[in-house]
Amino acid sequence: MLSKFDYFKPQTLDEALTYLESNPGTRIFAGGTDLMIVLRRDMEIIDHILDIKGISELGHIDYKSGEGLFIGAAVTVNEVCFSDIIREKYPALGQAADTVASYQLRNRATLVGNICNASPGADLSSPLLVYNAKVHIAGPKGKRIVDIDKFFTGVKRTVLEKNEIVTGVSLPDVQAGDMSVYKKQARIKGHDLGIAGVSIRITSNKEVFVAMSAVAPTPIRLAKVEEAIATKELTPETAAWLSTEVRKHISPISDVRSSAEYRLHISGILAKKGLLQLIEKGVN
Amino acid sequence: MCDKHNGNCFEYVDSGIPKVALNCIVNREEVHTTVDPTMTLLQFLTTELKLFGTKEGCGEGECGACTIIMNGKTVNSCIVLAIEAEGADILTVEGLGRNNELSILQQEFIANDALQCGFCTPGMLMSARELLDRNNDPSDEEIKEALAGNFCRCTGYFPIIDAVKKAAKREREELK
Repeated sequence: MLSKFDYFKPQTLDEALTYLESNPGTRIFAGGTDLMIVLRRDMEIIDHILDIKGISELGHIDYKSGEGLFIGAAVTVNEVCFSDIIREKYPALGQAADTVASYQLRNRATLVGNICNASPGADLSSPLLVYNAKVHIAGPKGKRIVDIDKFFTGVKRTVLEKNEIVTGVSLPDVQAGDMSVYKKQARIKGHDLGIAGVSIRITSNKEVFVAMSAVAPTPIRLAKVEEAIATKELTPETAAWLSTEVRKHISPISDVRSSAEYRLHISGILAKKGLLQLIEKGVN
Repeated sequence: MCDKHNGNCFEYVDSGIPKVALNCIVNREEVHTTVDPTMTLLQFLTTELKLFGTKEGCGEGECGACTIIMNGKTVNSCIVLAIEAEGADILTVEGLGRNNELSILQQEFIANDALQCGFCTPGMLMSARELLDRNNDPSDEEIKEALAGNFCRCTGYFPIIDAVKKAAKREREELK
């Protein structure tokens, strides 16, 4: 690799922020599953790498009844997969985590890295969107919290400033009866990036949330679809309606994995399947 | 950049930047040394420790040939920095057998013809080892899931799945 970088692995967030402030161009390194590719392909010349895995407060999944879930920035995707509380309370998130890459990549890749990389197809973005997750950001001026639907600003772009670190994401607590599902279409059953991903959540008071990945420049919540579905009964007919409706609110492109036409088609199918699955589980 | 292969290979080339300390355990033996911060863990294992069992395939974490076990979890060592192994406990294919005897898992790979060219085998073995460490009786589906990040281009995967199942059975019976 051409990069001749300085590697720094602090134990505290303050040390990390100081390093970030005094070394412009620093890249934050958690699982490294994206950054190592950048380094090895010499796609960028990187001078400073800040490994955040030594900061103990970033390494935990915490759930408090009434408050919700916090997932630290160094928590790996497999830790999400193996979290009983996530499986129980936030099923779409666990299901999406299962589809991320391969087992050994999930041992390294982090949930926060997945959203900070801000690929339009980020598998873990749509479940976070349907749960109105909040992104916790630390910077020289203190901490701030950004709603996940305001976090992504474009392809591979987020609101994160150069001197800031995402410390984790939080998801509000859910009531009994809250259900969600994640559906992803990929070219093969094994590990592959998604052609499209859909998360659907129905809250205990029948509020429906729909979010998608890989169908627009950023992962998106389909707010207009959610408004329209609020006026309908949750029936198989509504699922069929959803299948055509979602296609009006997304703007997929053609790429190596799929044509735009197929993405439109499969997005509708995935949304329908997802809603039907929740209805069958007994929402009414 | 490597000048022997038109710059198109993953051979380690010293970056010239100051080396940093690295202390870890590799195959139950302590290692105390210094490494170039730009060196990958795979390059460290092969070029510094001369453990040539771990292979480099794609170099990007797709194929799984470089899979090793670090702190009890499989990782693609081609996309781990060597310095990240500070304080880590590492197991490579060389550490599977003991006292000059192959492990049960390795014996079953041979008995079931679960390899042909053998290039993917070290990675397959490490993924299978980690699976059996957390699940001593995996189903076919669980084996497929655990090995989904390890590509084999010769045998087809069925003999490999058979080998892992038979190794699991033998380990349950013989390693009480």
